[in-house]
Amino acid sequence: MTVSLAVPDVLVARAQAGDEAALEALFRAFETPVYNLVRRMLRRPEDAEDVLQETFLEVVRNIKQYRGEGHLWGWIRRIASTKALMRIRRDQVRQTESLDEEPGKPGMHIGANLDLERAFERLSETSRAVVWLHDVEGYTHEEIAEQMGKSVSFSKSQLARAHARLRRMLDEGAHA
Amino acid sequence: MMHCTMEDLGALQAGEASVWARRHITTCAACQAELEGLYQRIAQLKALPALRPPRDRWPAVKSALRAQRSRRRRTWGAWTGSLALAATIAAVLLMQPGTQSTAHAELTHVKQQSATLEDSLQRYDTDGRVLSGHAAAVVADLEDRISILDGTLVQREQSAQDAELLQLWQERVGLMRELMNARATRARYVGL
Repeated sequence: MTVSLAVPDVLVARAQAGDEAALEALFRAFETPVYNLVRRMLRRPEDAEDVLQETFLEVVRNIKQYRGEGHLWGWIRRIASTKALMRIRRDQVRQTESLDEEPGKPGMHIGANLDLERAFERLSETSRAVVWLHDVEGYTHEEIAEQMGKSVSFSKSQLARAHARLRRMLDEGAHA
Repeated sequence: MMHCTMEDLGALQAGEASVWARRHITTCAACQAELEGLYQRIAQLKALPALRPPRDRWPAVKSALRAQRSRRRRTWGAWTGSLALAATIAAVLLMQPGTQSTAHAELTHVKQQSATLEDSLQRYDTDGRVLSGHAAAVVADLEDRISILDGTLVQREQSAQDAELLQLWQERVGLMRELMNARATRARYVGL
């Protein structure tokens, strides 16, 4: 998903002044990109909803600190991805590398995109996070490593393993 | 014949591959196909439709924000206020020992604990500085969770049963203690 969201400076200024309507307008502008990002990283939809809420709470609390350097989406995205990664770390105990088949959902077998989406959903949360941040959001391995508190080689090997799994799952799906 | 690993393919995609991998890919049809597959998977991931939140979360954010603003406004006098509150609660409990349910008495006690922790936090949080990005992230995360809980409490205070409120307030006390620990650790480092 490519995001190119332009937000008027005046709206940001009003939000920084504490105008609730402006803050809601920012929420409306970014709720879907934020939810999409964290939902792709996290396995459970309810966790993604919680992170969406936590992200915007931090955005409205710290919007005064946004100095207009870089795109606002970049600033918000960083908050969202950090919070999603924190949740992954916090819940690591329940995370598993198991790629057990999840119960099928109606309509999930139609089209190549949905096959890839289903395979992606079966990756571990750490793998999903690395793949999404690197391949879709364009983060470097250095940035991912910093956000995850891991090494650059960890990020690289997670990405390679995740792609190897995706390839294997898609191959198995094609030959099933 | 040796082929590229997935890490080699990733490095080729990023323009950071080894000399061997760069040479190999020019002559190996199998690895060329693997690299093309990698490009296609990434393109398909980028093309996935946006997932939309199933529920509107703005009301919850707004409630939490208002609760947080209200909390900040009243904390300047929290220390003296909570002492008065504690004295009042003690007097009520002494004068009317049989009129309150256990849950209600526990609820009152937990609210008092929460107020006391709030006061203690104020003493540590004199300058708002933190030691590191990690400490800042931990503190911000805890403050967010407390704010969200405060938003829930604002919504539920009038309608919920004591048992449910007790659970929410106990959760708040737990988070406040974690926040206290995070702040106290910082205070020890910076000598506050």
